[in-house]
Amino acid sequence: MDIFKRLSWFFLKEKKSYMLGIFSLVVVALLQLIPPRIIGIVVDEIETDSITSKSLTFWLSILLVSALLQYIFRYIWRMRIWGNAAKLEQTVRKQLYNHFTNMDNQFFQKYRAGDLMAHATNDLRGLRMVAGGGILTMADAISVGLTTLLAMMFVVDWRLTLIAVFPLPLLAITSRVLGRKLHMRFRDAQASFSQLNDKVQESIQGIKVLKTFGQEKEDVEEFKEQTANVVAKNRLVYKIDSLFDPAITLIMGVSYFLTILVGGLLITENEISIGDFVTFINYIGMLVWPMFAIGRLFNIIERGSASYDRIENLLREESSIVERKGSIETPVNGDLEFFIKKFSYPEDEVTTLHDVRFSLKAGHTLGIVGKTGAGKTTILKLLLREYDHYKGDVQYGGHDIRDYTLDALLKHIGYVPQDNYLFSTTIRDNIRFADPSLPQEEVEAAARLADIHDDILNLPNGYDTQVGERGVSLSGGQKQRISIARSIITNPELMILDDSLSAVDAKTEESILSGLKEKRQKQTTIIAAHRISSVMHAEEIIVVEDGTIVERGTHEQLLKLGGWYKDMYRQQQLEQKLEGEDE
Amino acid sequence: MEQPEIIKDRSIPFKQQMHILKRIMKFAHPYRKEFTAAIIFSILLAIINAILPRIIQIFIDDHLTPGGVTFRTILFFASLHFGVTLIRMIVWYCELYIFNMASEKTVKNIRENLYTKLHSLGMRFFDQTSTGWIITRATNDTEAMKDFWNVFLTIMQGVFGVVISLSAMFYLDASVAVWILLFAPILLIVIRFYQVYSSKTYVDMKSKLSSLNTKLAETINGMSIIQQFRQERRLQKEFEETNRSYFDSRYSMVRINAILLSPIINFLYTVAVVLILAIFGVNALSSPVEVGIIYAFTSYANDFFRPLTRLMDSLSLFQDGIVSSSRILKVMDNEEYAPEQNDIPGAQIEIGKIEFKNVTFSYDGKSDVLKNINFTVNPGETVALVGHTGSGKSSIINVLMRFYDFQKGEVIIDGRSIKDYPMRELRRKTGLVLQDSFLFYGTIKDNIRIKNDEINDREIIQAAKFVQADQFIEDLPGEYDARVVERGASFSSGQKQLISFASTIVRDPKILILDEATANIDTETETLIQEGLNRMRKGRTTVAIAHRLSTIRDADQILVLDNGRIIERGTHDELISNGGKYKDMYELQNIGLQTK
Repeated sequence: MDIFKRLSWFFLKEKKSYMLGIFSLVVVALLQLIPPRIIGIVVDEIETDSITSKSLTFWLSILLVSALLQYIFRYIWRMRIWGNAAKLEQTVRKQLYNHFTNMDNQFFQKYRAGDLMAHATNDLRGLRMVAGGGILTMADAISVGLTTLLAMMFVVDWRLTLIAVFPLPLLAITSRVLGRKLHMRFRDAQASFSQLNDKVQESIQGIKVLKTFGQEKEDVEEFKEQTANVVAKNRLVYKIDSLFDPAITLIMGVSYFLTILVGGLLITENEISIGDFVTFINYIGMLVWPMFAIGRLFNIIERGSASYDRIENLLREESSIVERKGSIETPVNGDLEFFIKKFSYPEDEVTTLHDVRFSLKAGHTLGIVGKTGAGKTTILKLLLREYDHYKGDVQYGGHDIRDYTLDALLKHIGYVPQDNYLFSTTIRDNIRFADPSLPQEEVEAAARLADIHDDILNLPNGYDTQVGERGVSLSGGQKQRISIARSIITNPELMILDDSLSAVDAKTEESILSGLKEKRQKQTTIIAAHRISSVMHAEEIIVVEDGTIVERGTHEQLLKLGGWYKDMYRQQQLEQKLEGEDE
Repeated sequence: MEQPEIIKDRSIPFKQQMHILKRIMKFAHPYRKEFTAAIIFSILLAIINAILPRIIQIFIDDHLTPGGVTFRTILFFASLHFGVTLIRMIVWYCELYIFNMASEKTVKNIRENLYTKLHSLGMRFFDQTSTGWIITRATNDTEAMKDFWNVFLTIMQGVFGVVISLSAMFYLDASVAVWILLFAPILLIVIRFYQVYSSKTYVDMKSKLSSLNTKLAETINGMSIIQQFRQERRLQKEFEETNRSYFDSRYSMVRINAILLSPIINFLYTVAVVLILAIFGVNALSSPVEVGIIYAFTSYANDFFRPLTRLMDSLSLFQDGIVSSSRILKVMDNEEYAPEQNDIPGAQIEIGKIEFKNVTFSYDGKSDVLKNINFTVNPGETVALVGHTGSGKSSIINVLMRFYDFQKGEVIIDGRSIKDYPMRELRRKTGLVLQDSFLFYGTIKDNIRIKNDEINDREIIQAAKFVQADQFIEDLPGEYDARVVERGASFSSGQKQLISFASTIVRDPKILILDEATANIDTETETLIQEGLNRMRKGRTTVAIAHRLSTIRDADQILVLDNGRIIERGTHDELISNGGKYKDMYELQNIGLQTK
């Protein structure tokens, strides 16, 4: 029941709506008592021959009116209670979404995308069940159960009632016990299903291996074992699941047995009329659902409360990246002074960066080269404030980057990452991702600068072409250039290209870089790359190895140095020569 | 690409729906006995449901109304009612259990057929279809079949309930029952209305939920971009809109259910009760009426109306089932089979001589990726294939492994066309070592044996020793029984390579096909791998794709491929002295080695 208290913020917010819903439920519960009673009365009047056309019309009119009212109030409670349940789902989903957008990298490493999706779908469903089914069951069980019981006692006979309802609490117990058992077995069945899923996934991914070794038959045999296991686990589920209705039947059967026995005796003693008896039998039938629902209620609450626990856990997580009080709101500009004494990723003992120092004057370009895993991207991540816990000091325009608001810093840095994530929308909206109100001319200008404009015009719908899962598939180079355009359009103070030209050929690269250079004469650029040609024109180039700077200087200086940089340059020139021959 | 497909599937015309239904029903055929039993139990249940009120009616009319009933009679009727209830309980249980198990077995049958079908398809299908799509067909779509069969159970229960309660009413008093029949057209109209409105809203709700979840997943995956561009607030607003439109859709569904589902059925039931009471009441004004019959009638009216709510509610699942069925059948109908073999009995690969004669091959039938390829590999010799990505190296392997069928020319092994060998013989005698070693969930042993139970533990250990994988395996907890989890994430790429060497060598193939890994291999295992490769090649005809030219210096023949043609061929020394493309590539790599 604790879950209702924890969700009270929502119930209070929708107080009026819930009150109206519950009020309607109670009214329906009362109205439901009328038909059996009227049936009983008419039966008695016919039996005692006291029926007149006037009395018949009277009773039937009441019955008809009660039917109409039932319809209206049933409509109201359904709209209120199920509507509110949907609203709770919507509200919490929004909370979760907004929360996700405020979380840092660490959060997304701790919770994998699949888990987060599961919380946002399954757990929200669990919650909706509590707010809908839970409330309904509780209110309904109490109102229908209580009013029917009272009606049985006072309208018909209290002795008969006490005896007849004696077995009914068993309904609640049965539904609780069976429900629990079913849930457990169901979980096993689910597990066997996900094993089957894993099996299929593995075999399809490894299909080449299976074909190579000619083991298709054996794999099908294994699959059959899995499907047999699924059937076996589900057999256990059905053994319980098929028990619900029969169990109700049995318990109700006992109750009917007692009713006929005691009711029959009471009629022979003239304690109750036949009409009372008919009314009573109908009432008993009405008690099935509320009694059974009470047992179910416990199960709904148990699951809903576990779901809400998981959701609350997520909502409790805090981002380690916070804006300090009184942060600077003026956009960053000026010179960059970068110094990291030591940095390791959270929960990682290995030092990723140490003693990395460079300064970058406004309007200059810095090149970063080095092997994969040397720490290039990490340097950039710290600049982007993806992590704040390092020893050292990064100053932009004379202030620690951690003293700026996130808007003042990030909005003025244009980062083009290695993995070019595009969203499932049009190319136009992907390019103007930073501001969807930008006009077509600006989108095109950015696309031209990124040398992707012509490619886009060749697509089926030009700038309106959908990309992503459901759209066209673009080549790696095209994606890279679109994400460069996405960054260019913001005209950032500092632009960072993180190996973002790797899938583009040398000629295109040159045209993009020279275009950028011309347009961004007063702005700062950092280029991290594998290809030396990307960085050779930079004012300073640093070579990173094992988390620190091992060579630095201009292109000419580095060539003279005769180290890693020079070897790499020679190798790439030769490669280019070979590629040239291919064409 | 999937979304438009679903929308298309949604509007399947009725005739085609029936066709799909007929085809998918065939998979239930082996379990027809169970289904028939379930149907019989379902009819029995409806009959018993009609008997119970009748017992009470007779009790009232024949014993209570006349008066002077004895305790024995009362006990008799109470016990009779209870006895029938017990039978009802058993019948009901049997109906549910048998039906559910039959539908579960049908799903199993569909799954196994689908899976066997998948294995009969060629590499083309797997190269072109996303893994996720295939998995969803084999698991979720087949799982949806259970709900689909359940719709039939619900319909069955509904129809039997309606028919039998109506028959019981006719049996009791045909003149009153005729009046109840009046409700039939009204109900049909209500059901039709509900179906039209609810299915529209249901489809809308489902597609909105799916776009909601897509958006959510996309946000989670693209979070770093969103945060980098500071677009959190904008996307929050956008999501709120999607979230609201899903809510609106769900709310309409709630409304439709509130207007047209159980409240209206309940209302109609009460109106039916009014009608019953009116008729009997009016009759009673002129002549005496047995009151028990009124009870029986109201009770039958309940049986008549009650199943309809569930029946209507389950109609939307019917649509889902048709959509899933059509997707399953789409896989079943796929005809991109693996290349066919002539299966000449007794055809065996004995010495492993390979000849490519004028082989031309294309994936799409338009552009040739291999053009007039000619070469011969003598038994025990090694031929190495070098060239850039897309030059055709992998296509030669696809042809040689019969993953794809070639269009022109001939591939001859031991003097016989490659098409003459049964696939199993061909695959068993040619050992392909793949670029990226794929490990299965299980133990090290399982991954060397790869599902072939004829290979015993001794052979496994020997094979591991041969490729020198034994050293690291014996350091593992459990040694050869050590668990491999998550595709071998805990092993280095070099170790994975060694394991896959062992799995190839344990089968003692005549022909070895090596697809050298491009990925960096840790220096520790590098030397082991080189040595393993050399050992494996000894005495076997070998076709090797090489990225590191240093590893193939001793090959008997090197073929340089470019754009699907062989542009240079000869031994390492010949090619270097010719001073062509091979020489350039070789020099480049030598510089590369220094920068590593």
